[in-house]
Amino acid sequence: MKTKETQDAVWKAVILRGRQALRQPLVATIFGLLVGAAVILACGQNPIEVYKEMFEKSFFKPYYLFSTLTRATPIIICAMATGMSWRAGYINLGVEGQMVTGTLVATVTALFLPGPPVLVAIIAWLAGMAAGALYALLPSVLAWKFNVSMVITTLMLNYVANYITSYFVTYPLKDTSGDGLALQTPEIAAGMRLPRLSSTSTFNAGFIVAILVVVFMVFITRRTVFGYESKMGGFNPSFARYGGTKQVKVMLITMALTGAIASMAGSAEVFGLKYRYADSMLSSTSYAWTGLQAALIAGLDPVGMFFVSIFLSGLQIGGSAIQRSLGIPLEIATIIQCCITLFVSVKVVIRFVKKPKAVKEGGKQA
Amino acid sequence: MNSAYIASVINSTLRSTTPILLAALGCAMCSRVGVFNVALEAQMLIACFTSIAVNYFTSNVLLSVLAGVLSGAVVGAVVAILQVKYKAADMVVGTALNLLVGAITTFLLYLVFGLRGKLVDNRLVSLGKINLPVIKDIPFLGRVLENLTIIDYLSYIIAIVLFVYLFKTVAGFRTLSVGINKSAAESLGTKATRIQMEMVTLSGALCGLGGVVLSMGQVTMFTENMTSGRGFIAMAASSLGMAHPLLVIASSLFFGLCQGIGLALQNVVKAQLTNTLPYIATIVALVIFSKRNSSAKLKK
Repeated sequence: MKTKETQDAVWKAVILRGRQALRQPLVATIFGLLVGAAVILACGQNPIEVYKEMFEKSFFKPYYLFSTLTRATPIIICAMATGMSWRAGYINLGVEGQMVTGTLVATVTALFLPGPPVLVAIIAWLAGMAAGALYALLPSVLAWKFNVSMVITTLMLNYVANYITSYFVTYPLKDTSGDGLALQTPEIAAGMRLPRLSSTSTFNAGFIVAILVVVFMVFITRRTVFGYESKMGGFNPSFARYGGTKQVKVMLITMALTGAIASMAGSAEVFGLKYRYADSMLSSTSYAWTGLQAALIAGLDPVGMFFVSIFLSGLQIGGSAIQRSLGIPLEIATIIQCCITLFVSVKVVIRFVKKPKAVKEGGKQA
Repeated sequence: MNSAYIASVINSTLRSTTPILLAALGCAMCSRVGVFNVALEAQMLIACFTSIAVNYFTSNVLLSVLAGVLSGAVVGAVVAILQVKYKAADMVVGTALNLLVGAITTFLLYLVFGLRGKLVDNRLVSLGKINLPVIKDIPFLGRVLENLTIIDYLSYIIAIVLFVYLFKTVAGFRTLSVGINKSAAESLGTKATRIQMEMVTLSGALCGLGGVVLSMGQVTMFTENMTSGRGFIAMAASSLGMAHPLLVIASSLFFGLCQGIGLALQNVVKAQLTNTLPYIATIVALVIFSKRNSSAKLKK
């Protein structure tokens, strides 16, 4: 009897926690969509019609749903990478650079390493993860040894990675077959590609990789000592030190994992969708930044990030659909998602600042 | 390496310095009042777009500059409201605003002009170029100061004005006191929150002016995300200059020099590689000056 009561209490707590965790992003999403509606109105269109088309062509028709999930794959993985470092209190804006570097290394390995395709593909993914991890370790070591702000260094390294990969794709690695105009590498061998999961679309096994990464994140954050130490470091550094956490070690492992995960986002794109590395294919699509926003909207909770990533990628797929049909620029999707993030950020305050005045003002403002 | 070549590198250094200097001054003012403003990039980019858009429709340089500065200040005010008034997390607000402005400018570029990527047009008027009467005939110096805009000169004057304001006036002392200890300043009757919001808005205006130079100075055009990380380089400049307006001039000149050298090297080395120079230099500079920097380092 008693155990049942405790069980009930636990369930109640879980549901309550879930409700509280969900309320903020949901309210913020509604406000974000309202801002989007105002923008659509300003463009001289009917917001309800536009949203109807937008969601129809992102979630409700199978073809578009598959596109949404395909696009969500790298976004989910980037969100996990962002979540990994931000949870631990390391403001890493460099997921893009880590992804780009790792992916280029993975592609090069896949192109030039001889051997049985499946084995080469596995080695390529691992090599990419190692490269991503090293690229993420660079700013961490600078922060540790020289106390250099990781915010700036990680962001600077994005530009460095983008320019250098662009150099490689434009000159030494360029595919010279065909007209040779496109800035891209040759295709990777057929045996290395991830299988397609749908015969009518490009939906591929990369999505399964993304789910595995989510499972890994859930496991590591909720079930391991490392996850606890890492989170404590971000939550309250002095408490973590008091509890005997070795901060430097935790930081280096956290950032290495971040970089490794980030590289998988790009590898999934290359091995599952494009089969080659094309210039700025990972930066112009702003996967990393969408992932970052998903992470922020979901409050860095792995399962939350998974669903928010899919939602945001749906907005983008819907956005490009309405650009084609209604002439509203697809950036409407980005505008909506940035507003959601801003509303979430204001909401977070209301929970922490307990002054009644702040609550009232915040409520009005939001 | 003759003197004419050196003069032209210095010239392009001065031109590249201005946007970074203005944004770095904005950042310095924010850190002086204890606000970590990550949205510098957004404040610059919106001004790049607004000034070019107003320029396109009015062909009036003064109006475009004012519009640019104003739009930067508006984004600054948004940062002030969210971060100072509602105490929202600085990183979240900054990142979201940087992305939001990137999206808004691209959105409007397509909606208003029907263009993707960039806006170049014959009717766009660039900022007036100044060639000082006597100096332009002096061989080396003439080339160094050739074709600079009025804002290039103005930015140094602004730095000096900010220095005088912060360290030589009572209002400046009040401002500094907010950054040192907000509650102590408040207890003495200083309107700390208001000063913070004013300074963040001011940083928006300064970044706005920097954005205007970027889009109407050396070139007269708007390109998507044309600020390309300058807001963050400015953050590094402000941090290296320990948020002191005069030291910020020196650190900004260093980053300007890196861009100048990068441009000069483009004839020898592939552009993709020289383009990385300012970013790598930023990291190297932060590392080299890290010890001295640790007392006034950024919050995160």
